[in-house]
Amino acid sequence: MGYDWDFGVVLRDFDLLLLGLVNTLKVTGLALLFGVPLGLILALCRLYGNALIRWPVGLVIEFLRTTPPIAQLFWFFFALPILAGIEINPFEAAVLTFSLQSSAFFAEVFRGGIQSVERGQWEAAKAIGMTRNRALKRVILPQAVKRMIPAFLERAIELMKTTTLVGTISYADLLFRANQIAQSTYRALEVFTVAAAIYFIVIFACSFAVRLLESRLARSGESTAR
Amino acid sequence: MDYAWDFSAILQYRALLWVGLVNTFKLAALCLVLGLAFGLPVGLMRYARARWLNWPATAFVEVFRNTPVLVQIMWFFFAFPIISPFDVNAFTAAALGLTLNTVAFSSEIYRAGIQSIAKGQWEAGKALGMTRRQQLIRVILPQALRRMIPAFMNRAIELVKMTSLASVIAYGELMHQAKTISTIAFNPIEMYTVVALIFFALIAPPALAVQRYEKSLGRRD
Repeated sequence: MGYDWDFGVVLRDFDLLLLGLVNTLKVTGLALLFGVPLGLILALCRLYGNALIRWPVGLVIEFLRTTPPIAQLFWFFFALPILAGIEINPFEAAVLTFSLQSSAFFAEVFRGGIQSVERGQWEAAKAIGMTRNRALKRVILPQAVKRMIPAFLERAIELMKTTTLVGTISYADLLFRANQIAQSTYRALEVFTVAAAIYFIVIFACSFAVRLLESRLARSGESTAR
Repeated sequence: MDYAWDFSAILQYRALLWVGLVNTFKLAALCLVLGLAFGLPVGLMRYARARWLNWPATAFVEVFRNTPVLVQIMWFFFAFPIISPFDVNAFTAAALGLTLNTVAFSSEIYRAGIQSIAKGQWEAGKALGMTRRQQLIRVILPQALRRMIPAFMNRAIELVKMTSLASVIAYGELMHQAKTISTIAFNPIEMYTVVALIFFALIAPPALAVQRYEKSLGRRD
């Protein structure tokens, strides 16, 4: 183990790594921006649509949830452009894939949250003359969303981890940059260790915040429920 | 959208896909067995009161849960060989990354499962004169394991999906074989569609079964 560590080379290219991190966050942020509303729509289709809507939507959700993200990414990057006769760059393919993929997971979170609200809430809304749409918007969703927050944030963190795949289609995220620097400096050990540390710091901070929020929500839930 | 689909090349190269499927299962099975086996001691260490047991286990679990699994695989493939006393090929690197990841996640399942058992069960075991170890093995674990089954099955499903990441370091599992075939036969559309369908066919039935089982557990408790 007489290895001479040299983090100097990593420090010299540190700004490249940070640029990579920005790209990671960009893909994650955009996928969230599109994935969450789409997830709500899918969840509502699956819950309240007629059989013609419910079944196909359910199939799409299950398909997106059970196939590996890398298979989806490759399909959207390599297959879709030929099939549809359009040009897609790595960034667009990444945003498209992760928006759709995360929307399937968010749909399940929405569905679970909506179903967790007691029937009595629907009935109460109906009793004061609300339509179903209005009851959903004013009574059910506000309560459901509060319960869903931890699950949402966990999914968002999971999404950030999954975006490391974009390097495989040459989008310059943090991991892709690390690989580049490692190959040009022959310091794979230092570079990959630093990249892992950056991921750890960002993701650990997020999950720590989620845990704090979760315990706080649990406490406030207890005090209002009784 | 008048694309002429042609699946003949996939049939022609089906032997390559079969090899990939076998490799996917080899990797997933090895990582699952090792991951579940080492997950229990790590979970128990996190449960321990002694800091010298508790802290290293906690650090290990947090590191592997809070970094992307692809980073772990790439680290073991590109960085680890530099300090490793043994040769690291793509299979070893993928197996190391995925196994340690599974250890970290399954240790949390064990921990949560054990914690979910009422304190009275420990006390009852103690009242019968059992040592703490006997209480754990004979009273707590048999009850906890039943509750953990759905979580473990979800982990196994997740693991099969994650093996596709080994294609990035050129381990010849299903995804990598598909990539190879699509470059030889110039059929990315058919190949990537078929590989997605294969994964769906592999994973959807057990995923559905777990959902059913979870529901039935919920009813029984």
